[in-house]
Amino acid sequence: MSFLSAEFGIFLALGLLIFYLSPSQWRPRVLLGWSYAFYASWSPAGTVLLLFITLSVYLTARWIQGRSAESAKFAVTTAGVASLLVVLIVFKFNAWLSSPFQALLGDIAPGIRVIAPLGLSYYLFKAMGYLLDVYWEKVAVQRSFVSLALYISFFPQIVSGPIQRAGDFFDRFDGLKRPDSAEFVVGLRRILFGFAKKVVIADRLAVLVANTHSNPSRFSSVELLLGAYCYSFQLYADFSGVTDIAIGLGLLFGVRGPENFNLPYFARNVQEFWRRWHMSLTSWLSDYLFLPLRMSLRRLGTFGLALAILVNMLAVGLWHGPTWAYAAFGAINGIFMIVSVLTLKRRNAVFQTHPWLASVRRWTGPLVTFHLMVFAQIFFSVSLGSAFTYVGRIVPFPAVLHAGVPMLRLSWPLLGISVWTFAALCAGLVTMEAIHWGSQHACWRARFMSAPRYVRWGLYYASILIILLSVRTTVSFIYAQF
Amino acid sequence: MTEAEIFPKLTAVFRDVFDNPQLDCSDSTTAQDVENWDSITHVTLVVAVEKAFGVSFTVKDIRGLANVGDFRRLIAKRVK
Repeated sequence: MSFLSAEFGIFLALGLLIFYLSPSQWRPRVLLGWSYAFYASWSPAGTVLLLFITLSVYLTARWIQGRSAESAKFAVTTAGVASLLVVLIVFKFNAWLSSPFQALLGDIAPGIRVIAPLGLSYYLFKAMGYLLDVYWEKVAVQRSFVSLALYISFFPQIVSGPIQRAGDFFDRFDGLKRPDSAEFVVGLRRILFGFAKKVVIADRLAVLVANTHSNPSRFSSVELLLGAYCYSFQLYADFSGVTDIAIGLGLLFGVRGPENFNLPYFARNVQEFWRRWHMSLTSWLSDYLFLPLRMSLRRLGTFGLALAILVNMLAVGLWHGPTWAYAAFGAINGIFMIVSVLTLKRRNAVFQTHPWLASVRRWTGPLVTFHLMVFAQIFFSVSLGSAFTYVGRIVPFPAVLHAGVPMLRLSWPLLGISVWTFAALCAGLVTMEAIHWGSQHACWRARFMSAPRYVRWGLYYASILIILLSVRTTVSFIYAQF
Repeated sequence: MTEAEIFPKLTAVFRDVFDNPQLDCSDSTTAQDVENWDSITHVTLVVAVEKAFGVSFTVKDIRGLANVGDFRRLIAKRVK
């Protein structure tokens, strides 16, 4: 049951009705039941695994709390986290490990293949984070199984995140009061914005991207470059769209999820980009992987720093799946970040000695960072071999160009969209970023909220109309596959 | 070393790590208030503090830090 389906609309309406009519002490159970029903609609077998993992994490956390010796706490935490990692590796990496594992499974149950259950990476990261936070005493052990189970399975977040931290969720969820009408409207507005990004922008860009990325040899350098830019914006609109929907859905039930994006394509350097892109994953990896690794490698100086960054960025890439392209995506970002981090002080010194360069840097920093990310995301979008082919055809080496394809050609019919649709998409992207920017500034939020009601609701209805008129073939959310 | 003595030395370490001679820290200063204070520079800061004060921290210590005040108190605990 996708967020984009009519069935989900009915499911949500029913869930809200039952949730709001239930007595407050029953609401967590209702929400938990609804979350499990949602998950079961995707994967009944996966629901059993979800329940089993939740129960294991619940007992392990209580066990960690029950130990008095530090070494015992450490051993139990390590065993708990390692077990969850094994589950992740078995399901997500079974293509790499498949020969022996699949052969064994084939002997036991012929015809059955191991397929990663939906949202596994998201809920396992929540579970691991919870255990580590209990060990580090950042969060109190949950005595209520319902609360913990709801945290891990909360249906708005289980398909595509964001990965909310346990402490943050329990703080907001505790006492689960009914959200007021203003919060409910904020949630609806966020869902509407998410749908607009997905249906109006991402799915339209997907048409062009599907053409350029499926057969690069048909396209010129300029067309492939345009395809690469469009993929970066499609990914952004698609992923931030599903995040908006998830945050909005959470707000309808009184739970505010963490933000995942903060104008990432305006980042001034690579490390800043990763503080603004998929923030819930990168901050998770920073806290639970990079920090312990960097601390244990700190005696190695610069080499230790570079190694910790590379391992962390490889983990970012491989979190998406066990493919060489994701590994390359992580490694490329790791190299970009190492170079950026190690040269930052020197670059700052250069710019400080030439103040006139500071204004140039304000523009070049985001521009260079954006292009580095567009390059890296080519490896995210296709297989490793295709990515090299794609990059090779963008770079104007006459030897690798296909005969008969002019390097500077720009054929809209071949790209699959009209120039007017493309212009409308550009306008849509500018509007999207203006809304992102405005929503971060209290004065612009206040201006919008103080506008007459008919203006605001007129905009909402106009957005709904544009979404309905834009619906063609809906493409699944890119991040629902992870 | 008293907590009052720790503060000027800690500020000097912050200024050096964040490459900002004008940086002013108080107990309530957090990563949000200092440009470029992210997970990467955080450990660089921790290593610089360990070196400056001759102390050693664990991951658990570092995860518990919410602001400069927490850092100062942690150093005071270790120096004693």
